[in-house]
Amino acid sequence: MLGKLSWDVIPFDQPLPMIASAVVALTILGVLAWVFLAGHFPYLWREWITSVDHKRIGVMYTLLALLMLLRGFSDAVMMRSQQALAFQAPGYLPPDHFNQVFSAHGTIMIFFGAMPFVIGLMNLVVPLQLGVRDVAFPTLNSVSLWLTATGALLVNISLVIGEFARTGWLPYPPLSETAYSPGVGVDYYLWAVQIAGVGTLLTGINFVTTILKMRAPGMSYLRMSMFCWTSLAASLLIVAAFPILTATLAMLTLDRYFGFHFFTNEAGGNMLMFVNLIWAWGHPEVYILVLPAFGIFSEVISTFSSKPLFGYRSMVAATLFICIVSFMVWLHHFFTMGAGADVNAAFGIATSIIAVGTGVKIYNWMFTMYGGRIRFATPMLWSLGFMVTFVIGGMTGVLLAVPPADFLLHNSLFLVAHFHNVIIGGVLFGAFAGYTYWFPKAFGFRLHEGWGKLAFWLTLIGFYATFVPLYAVGLLGMTRRMQHFDVPAWYPWVLVAGAGMIITTAGVVAQIIQLVVSIRQRAALRDSTGDPWDGRSLEWATPSPPPVFNFAALPHVEGEEPYWSIKQRAREQNRLRDEPEYEPIEMPRNSPTGFICAFFATVMGFALIWHIWWMVALGALGAFATFVVFAWRDKPEYVISAAEVARIDRANRSARREALATYTGPRP
Amino acid sequence: MSNADDRHAQRRDTHDLERYDIDTAPGDEYLGDTDVGSGLRGYVIGLGLATLLTIASFWLPGTDLVWAPGVPVALVVLAIAQMGVHLVFFLHITTGPDNTNNALALAFGVLIVVLVIGGSIWIMANLDKNLMPMNAIMNMNR
Repeated sequence: MLGKLSWDVIPFDQPLPMIASAVVALTILGVLAWVFLAGHFPYLWREWITSVDHKRIGVMYTLLALLMLLRGFSDAVMMRSQQALAFQAPGYLPPDHFNQVFSAHGTIMIFFGAMPFVIGLMNLVVPLQLGVRDVAFPTLNSVSLWLTATGALLVNISLVIGEFARTGWLPYPPLSETAYSPGVGVDYYLWAVQIAGVGTLLTGINFVTTILKMRAPGMSYLRMSMFCWTSLAASLLIVAAFPILTATLAMLTLDRYFGFHFFTNEAGGNMLMFVNLIWAWGHPEVYILVLPAFGIFSEVISTFSSKPLFGYRSMVAATLFICIVSFMVWLHHFFTMGAGADVNAAFGIATSIIAVGTGVKIYNWMFTMYGGRIRFATPMLWSLGFMVTFVIGGMTGVLLAVPPADFLLHNSLFLVAHFHNVIIGGVLFGAFAGYTYWFPKAFGFRLHEGWGKLAFWLTLIGFYATFVPLYAVGLLGMTRRMQHFDVPAWYPWVLVAGAGMIITTAGVVAQIIQLVVSIRQRAALRDSTGDPWDGRSLEWATPSPPPVFNFAALPHVEGEEPYWSIKQRAREQNRLRDEPEYEPIEMPRNSPTGFICAFFATVMGFALIWHIWWMVALGALGAFATFVVFAWRDKPEYVISAAEVARIDRANRSARREALATYTGPRP
Repeated sequence: MSNADDRHAQRRDTHDLERYDIDTAPGDEYLGDTDVGSGLRGYVIGLGLATLLTIASFWLPGTDLVWAPGVPVALVVLAIAQMGVHLVFFLHITTGPDNTNNALALAFGVLIVVLVIGGSIWIMANLDKNLMPMNAIMNMNR
């Protein structure tokens, strides 16, 4: 009746996960109880859970990402502290648990931390920057969000019910085959990533369509903001790469569930094919993450240098170059697997070449700052921290791209330090820059600058203190994923890395305090005009937070930096543009389709993991029925009256008029 | 959808702007409500051609119309023709100026498929040559 599920699968004998999950469960139950008892549920359901508004979906994506970053970070704290304690000692995490911790850390950070963060910011900003009212497929967007949340939920359920994979964040066979991983850990991984992957693929399709088809009048490709360009490139990569992931994991699933032999040791299976295919997705994936971050830095550096982006066209070219070449380098993840010198050399050279694209961008950012009037606000600090950190990470990457060097460094902590250097220094710093930069746009008030700067410095110093020792100890030969070690020469480095983790933790705490303090002081931090940073692209033409329809009248774009030219004209003529003719606006109705679909997907995923076949059928049927009901809807839209549009727009115009009247020239 | 209406509105708005070449998606083409017939005709021709090519590829190997070792090549040709029919009649890929996006997307897709499949074949063949099969190692240990 319940497949493999029984009371034995809950780890009552392990105090650590039990206490952790009890705390989490109590917190969630407490929040749910508060939501229901205080009567907030109808509001949440109406305005957020069923929302198809790209801005709200973006906020929810980002919230999910922040929660999962915390979860992944707690895994990181456990790993660093375990290694600091495990010199010639067993430490406090048994090997079985340690292996689950590092697998969960990688899976959560990439799939449920970095991806939702980047996609959340894309959701919030791209339609605003394009000057349109929503994405191409608003309900599909909500489906994407909730399917991603399903994946995150499944991974976290594994903490209490059963176990997680012990195979690393990419489950290499034959270890991940049934013969060597008979438990449900790998199944949790497979279904969580598979379901979330469908959500990501739908997002990719949605954004390619939105950016190619739905720009404001006059917004030609070469007038789009840099963030839209990098989002387009990332979405193209999602559409091209995620099917490879889906197919590869589907083959592993067939191996595990139906005794197929795609990747097994025996019967003609080839486990090297899994490694090949997973990295054919995996390398584009890192560019899916970092390209939007590059876009964020372009926006931030240009805004806070009070200058147009230097070399806009070369930036576009570099982005598209990276987009294509990212599909020609994947073998560098497995130089040591046994290919010949010619293959290794070809992919090594391609890997070095892809760094050229990033190099172009770094120089463009430097020239954007050169001669500019730079304001060192928190988003700018994250961007500057990124430029230094990412160049170091990039250079160690080019070092690893040399096959003979890679033979020595493969699987060492040097490699671990390298990819954390580019992912933290690139993606995470970018996400935090975007988070502080666009927070006022989403909520109508800025984040506290003092706590933001403290968080930045603590995170930056903590990052270097953690990962520079890992570079060193990697060169000394320490491999990754060690539960304990006996080499005295490694010990001091591991201790320093552990101390670095304490500083990083302080940075995380500062970031949380920043959010709390900002919410409490929101009246003082209020952004009344909608343009808190003296911005240059169209999102700053809307009020903060923007009304559901974004633009009262769609803007006519006449050049690069559309909002800057509007603003300059207003400043020169000392008056706003004429009031547009207000017309009623049709917007898509909210729909619970995404949430209900994801509910059934969760049921189905859980049932598949535990082999509860009747429940699988139930979940699949439910999800399909939801889709059919949605397809038969007859009133997809509602109308906002012209008077309402005029009221909202006039309120913002008066705030802007006031700001214009008190404008005294560029800020020092 | 409201977005379609937005696009209509945008299109009207941009009529006076000189760069008015907003591309239309397949199925979004402005046939007007009276001209459903020509769309249907395209699908029927496509279905006919696709059926014909399918039948041909099943029928061909059974005859000696083509020199026997050349049959796989003939099948590949028929398969590519089949893809072409699908692209033109069902996915509406044309060479028209309103179809640049679709043609570019197709080119990007083909490039990625060639890179991934070609690269995989190259890598796996190389590994095959360099790595001794398990039973050969077993034999050496005997």
